[in-house]
This record gives sequence, C-alpha cells and structure tokens, in this order.
Amino acid sequence: MYKFLLCWRYLRTRWIALASIISVTLGVATMIVVNAVMAGFTQEMQDRIRGILSDVSFEARSFNGFRDPEYHMREIEKIVGDEIEVMTPTVTVPAMLSFQLHGEWNTRPVQLIGIPRDAMQYASKFRQYLQHPKHREQFRFELQETGYDLRDRHGGEDAPLRVRMETAGMVHRRNMIEYRRQWEQQLAGKPLPHAEQTVNDDSQPANDVVDPFAAVERPLDPFAARNDAAQADPAAPLTGCVLGIGLVSYRHNGAEHFLVLPGDDIQLTFPTAGTPPKAVSDTFTVVDLYESKMTEYDSSFIFVPLDKLQELRGMFDRESGTTFVTSIQIKLKDESRGSIVRDKLQAAFPPHFYSVSTWRDKQGPLLAAVEMETAILNMLLFLIIAVAGFGILAIFFMIVVEKTKDIGILKSLGAHGSGIMGIFLSYGLSLGLVGAGAGMVLGLLFVRHINEIRIWLGNLTGQMVFDPSIYYFYEIPTSVNPWTVAWIVIGALAIAVAASVMPALRAARLHPVEALRYE
Amino acid sequence: MNKHHSANPAGPHGPTVAPLRAQARDGASAHGQAAATTAVTTATTAAGVQRVRPATAPDHEAVAASAGGVLLKAVGLKKDYHKGKHVVPVLRGVDLEVRQGELLAVIGQSGSGKSTLLHLLATLDRPDEGEIWFNGQRIDNASTRQRDRLRNRHLGMIFQFYHLLPELTALENVLAPLMITHGFFSYRLQRRRLVERAKALLETVGLGHRLKHRPREMSGGEMQRAAIARALITEPQILLADEPTGNLDGRTGQGIMELLRSLNTQSNLTIVMVTHDSAIASQADRVVQLVDGQVSDS
Ligand SMILES: Nc1ncnc2c1ncn2[C@@H]1O[C@H](COP(=O)(O)OP(=O)(O)OP(=O)(O)O)[C@@H](O)[C@H]1O
Ligand SMILES: [Mg+2]
Repeated sequence: MYKFLLCWRYLRTRWIALASIISVTLGVATMIVVNAVMAGFTQEMQDRIRGILSDVSFEARSFNGFRDPEYHMREIEKIVGDEIEVMTPTVTVPAMLSFQLHGEWNTRPVQLIGIPRDAMQYASKFRQYLQHPKHREQFRFELQETGYDLRDRHGGEDAPLRVRMETAGMVHRRNMIEYRRQWEQQLAGKPLPHAEQTVNDDSQPANDVVDPFAAVERPLDPFAARNDAAQADPAAPLTGCVLGIGLVSYRHNGAEHFLVLPGDDIQLTFPTAGTPPKAVSDTFTVVDLYESKMTEYDSSFIFVPLDKLQELRGMFDRESGTTFVTSIQIKLKDESRGSIVRDKLQAAFPPHFYSVSTWRDKQGPLLAAVEMETAILNMLLFLIIAVAGFGILAIFFMIVVEKTKDIGILKSLGAHGSGIMGIFLSYGLSLGLVGAGAGMVLGLLFVRHINEIRIWLGNLTGQMVFDPSIYYFYEIPTSVNPWTVAWIVIGALAIAVAASVMPALRAARLHPVEALRYE
Repeated sequence: MNKHHSANPAGPHGPTVAPLRAQARDGASAHGQAAATTAVTTATTAAGVQRVRPATAPDHEAVAASAGGVLLKAVGLKKDYHKGKHVVPVLRGVDLEVRQGELLAVIGQSGSGKSTLLHLLATLDRPDEGEIWFNGQRIDNASTRQRDRLRNRHLGMIFQFYHLLPELTALENVLAPLMITHGFFSYRLQRRRLVERAKALLETVGLGHRLKHRPREMSGGEMQRAAIARALITEPQILLADEPTGNLDGRTGQGIMELLRSLNTQSNLTIVMVTHDSAIASQADRVVQLVDGQVSDS
C-alpha cells in the first residue's frame, strides 16, 4: 500500500520528473504519426497497384505468347480452381504511341495491353480509374458523346477543374474535324468564317501561324487514313483505346495541360508475333483516360481491345481457330493467398515458358523500399525514446539519492527491499504511462488533423508543405494500425520501466543503517 | 490503555502479548495473534530451533518474558566498522538484558556506539559476533525477510531526528507501518478502522490537532510525538529509542520523557532508550553505561 501512496506523493511533488518523460511523449507521438503516414502511403499505393495489376498473373516468357488461352485456363482451373474468382486472358506488348501536337508528331514508348472488350473483370479497379461516369459502370471501348469528369476524382474539393474535359468525347471529335476542314479550306485559299475558330484548343497550333510541317504530316494524318465506313461518317470513332493520363498530360505552374483528349485519334506501333517481328501500326480513337495516380502506370499503359490486338499482331491460328495470348490475369477470391497460388501454378507449368507472379512480386522493390524506410524511421525514433530512457535513469538516480533517508526509514519500519523497489518501479511505470499516454493522444490527434495542420502550416509559412503536383496526392493519406500504436506504447512503457529498474534496485539494496545515517 | 498483557501467558501461540493492543482487540484479536505467531515460528525456524512444539508444553522463555523476565537479550555483541584498512572497533562484547515492562536507559558518550547497539538490537544491522534473543528466539541471524517482519510488527523505533517521511502527513506517517504490513486491498478493506486507530493514537500522544500537517509544518516536539505514535501503531512489544530528546530543548524533551514514562507505566511498554543526557537517563527504571564498547551497570 505504502508503495502506491509514496509513488503518488513523489510524482505529485516532483514535477521535474515529468520533464524527463517529455521526450518519451514526443518520441511516441512522432512514431505514431510516422507510422500512420507511411502506412497510409503504402496502403494508398497498394490500392493503386492492385487497381491495375491482377492478384496473380500467369505470363508467357515470350512476346509471341502461348497458344490457346482456353486450354490454359482449364488447366489452371484444375490446379487452383477453388481459389479463383475470375481469369482474364490478355496480351501485353511494348509499343510506340504517336499523336500530333502543334502539327508535329510526338512519339512515346508505352506498354500496350489488350484486354477483352467487356473488360468487366480485368483488375479490381480498372474501371474505377476511368474518367467517364458511365465507363465506371460499364466499359466497352466506346466513345461517349460528352460528360467526362471535370474534377480530378482523387483530388478532392480543392483540386483545380479540368476545363478542357468539358468538350471531351464526340463533341471534341466533331469540333476537331470541323476545325480541320476549315483549315484545309484556308489552305486552299477560301475565306474563313472567323467565329468558328474559337473551338480550337491549346494542343493545336494557332491558326494564323502557317504550319511548316503541314505537308510532312499529311501522309500520317490519322484522319486521312480512314476506312470506308469512317469515310461515310468522318466523325465515326475508330477502335477504342484507353490512355494513361500521364502519357498525354503534364503539369505546368500548377495547372494540368492535356495533349490528347477523349475523341482524338492516336497511332500505335508495335511488333507482330511472328519471327522476326515486324512493326505494324494502326489508328485508334481515345475513348477515355486512365488515372490511377500511380505515375508509373499512368504514364505507360495503354489499353486496347484484345481481339483487335490479336488480329493486328497475328496472334491466331487460322487452321485450328485458336488464339494466342501473352498472359492470363487471375483474380483470386482471397488476395492474401496469392503466393500459394503462384507456387502451385509455377510448379505445374514449365518455368522456362511461363512465369507466374503476384502483384506483390511485381511491385516488390517499391513496396520493399517503403517498408525499409518505415523500418529505419522506426528504429531511429525508437532510439530517441531509448535516449529518453537514459534521462529517466539519471533523474531516477537523483531521486533515489535524494530519498536515501526515507528509504532507510521505510526499512526501519519493516519495508522489504522488494517493496521499496516497487515504489520506484511504479514511479517509472506511472511516468511511462503518462508519457506514452500523452504521446499516444498527441500522435493520434496529429494524425487525425494532419491535413488541417498541413494547410495551416502552409498558410503560416506561405509555402506549400505537401505539394500535390509532386506527390499526386491532394491529401496526406494516413492509416492508423491499432497494433502498431499498441506496440509503440508498450515499447515506451518498457523503456520507462527498464530505466527505473537500476535506480529501484539500488534503492532496494541500500543498507538500512547507512541510509538512516545519510545526510 | 489496558494493562492486561499477561492475559495470554505461554498460550499455545507463544508470547505474543503487546501493550496498546486495546483498540485492536475488539475486532481483530485473532488476526493480531495469528500475525505474531507467524513471526515467532518463522524466527524459530531461522534460529534452527525445533519448530514444532507441543501446544500445551509451556515455553520457559515465554513464561519468563510474560512474568517480567527477559524480553530482549544481547550476548557478547561485537561490531567493527571498516574504513579502508582501518578497523574501528565500536562494540567489543556487549551483554545486555532487557526485562519485560522496564524502561532501560543506555548512557554513553557521543561516539561510544549507542546508535550502533540500538541498530543491532533493532535488527537493522548484523553483529560481527554475538547473539541477540528476542522473546526467546534468536533474531540476529534470521533472514532479511523475517527481520523486516519483526521490525514491522514487534519492534518500535524512534530516532533523534524523528525520521518522519516528509511527503506524508502526520496521520499518514503513523499509518505507514500498517501500510507496510497490509497489502493494497487488505489495507483498503480495513482502512477506516486503521485510520481510527491512528487518530486515537495521535490523540494519546497529544497530536490530535495536527493530523493533516506535514512534518515541516510541525515543531520538533510534535514530530517526535508523531514518531512515537508511528512506532506504537503496530502495538510492538518493545520500543527502541535513539536519543529521543537529543534534538529538543529541555522542556520539550521532558514532555517526551513524560510521554514515554506514561506509556511505560500505563501500557506496560518495554522501552530501551539510549542517551548521553544523564538527567534524562535518571528517569529510567534502570541505567546501564556503554563505555569502551562494553556495557556496565551504573
Ligand atoms: N559507517 C561507519 N563507518 C565507519 N565508522 C562508523 C560508521 N558508523 C559509525 N561509525 C563510528 O562508530 C562509532 C559509533 O557510532 P555511533 O553512531 O554508534 O555512536 P553514538 O554513540 O550513537 O554517537 P552519538 O551520541 O553521536 O549518536 C563512531 O566513532 C563512529 O565514527
Ligand atoms: Mg547516535
């Protein structure tokens, strides 16, 4: 009983000891914030990765792919059928994207992915990342009249509007055809109705400048190379494709600029499946833009209908009527069993032809880097708390020395060494509880209001603390794992108690007579 | 204050009678006896004496004690202090007998080893040689835990510098030994009763109006009275006092002496008091002198 009473009295009369615990408080708070933010980043990133990569992908090692996806799917079904929700055959090839910009052709390397036309089952969030609300419901590579999102869906309320998206779709397409017609009329020397010029946009050359490359681009002009059906209606869209938004947009002075909009035509060039591969190209109409906020994907992926890609690449066998694909994307019922499924499949198919990987394998280095960063930060921060432990140790030793006589008195009254030890251990524990508790509250509050704090700090310093144009996040993502918090608090408590063990032991071992004689 | 300490002579539980147990009697005599029994039997074990005794056979030591015989006995106590290679012999064979119910004064010059002797008797320190017997049990070589228990339940100590705990009020200081005896829950359960007892005891020593005062808010005399109350709260069989008046002016010191005297006579409390003040010592029943590390009757 006296332990608690004395511990409490010592706490109440020695506020200075709380000073030693402030570093524990700050350490705990920082650790909680750092972990929450890192976990938030990781989760956000994983979400995005998972939005585009399927749980497990079964791939051919060759660009030519493998024959008969139905057969393979049946085989996979036999091995891990219980685990699978759905399988999607796809073709992935490196390709070149070409589009016209200010009259000049612009070419970029891309990853071309052929997915089934309905694209319903491809990766969990594929459709969620499209810009047209209807496409998010159902997507069939069709161009919409208009109605593409004006707002960055990940950006939140304060994201700037994408004004140019207002005309995206068939409207933009018709405008462009009309504009081009007038341009050709002007070249032919006919007078131009001035009012019509306002339909232009900044991705197209200003009208009063004569484009010196106009003649050069002619043969490659996608509108020129039109099939019969399209010629009947010049505005009719070609085969649809979805571009990663990062391929055709850039940020400048905080504003987003689009080089290509849904409704524009682009040209894709990619190798055929034969040996040696030959380059083939075809023109596609952009029907939507893909925005996962994972820069890596947004600036490299282009989706086209699988059958079209197979046809263009020659990935079918006329005689047997079978097709070729380069991979089968597998969506599992339980994502966490990915590595088990992978191992089973890898064991069943010859590894020199097929490679099986989970989405985690594919993003391994990225995820590992984030994990590593978190681990190192945690270690450093925990060291801070450990350093605080030495502060506690020093202060406790002082208190024990100061209380030497009282310890002697207690012993003369018959207190056991263990009881005396208890005083100082519970003292350490209480300080730890106060410090870690306060740190926990502080950290959790900070995490909760981190975005308000960010804005407030930004206003205070006049500088953007967390620039969305750099991070592609408009809000700092956070995720609080209760177990992490619990471990941090327990760790801090353990350090506070550990730091009080030595002084407490010293107190317990004091010789009663020497303690009584102590002045 | 009752004086019926001999109500339980040589009973099956051994010599467990203590003065000032009056307040506790009504509610907890069984508890008090049980506690004392444990202390004695454990001490017995430590001393290597046969632990199990026939319940009816009278223990001759116990009979002696309750009959005003020897309560505390020191035989050939030796104690040196070592200062580096220097050996400072302080006690060189002290023989001392303290009888039940007497007020014994040990007088000696400063540095003669009075405190050292008292610490040995109180089991706060161990002698280099010699034996200490309490209630017929040898206590100098008992285990730390047993000696802690003995100090807590059967010995009371007061000091020249009072040695109150500065963070606690007078009342809490008096309760401190009980808080040590009882665990958290046991104390909580009995709190009301124990607090009443402490208040009554503070009343007895004349501090009824200082319950909530911290030591630094009290005078020397008041602190010593609080210390006496603390020493007596566990109803010890013996009170060891180390110069209880040494830090007080003559009149206050005399007040303390009178208090000790009245406790001795009214509650039959055995008191061993060391002092260098012969005027104080002369009020004792018996005075012995500590000279050259040995005790001689004066
Ligand atoms: N820890 C120690 N180390 C060395 N010598 C000690 C120690 N403690 C006490 N002494 C010595 O032992 C002797 C006896 O000390 P003690 O305190 O018992 O005397 P005392 O009779 O109580 O004196 P006082 O009347 O001043 O209280 C003194 O000479 C002292 O110097
Ligand atoms: Mg002394």
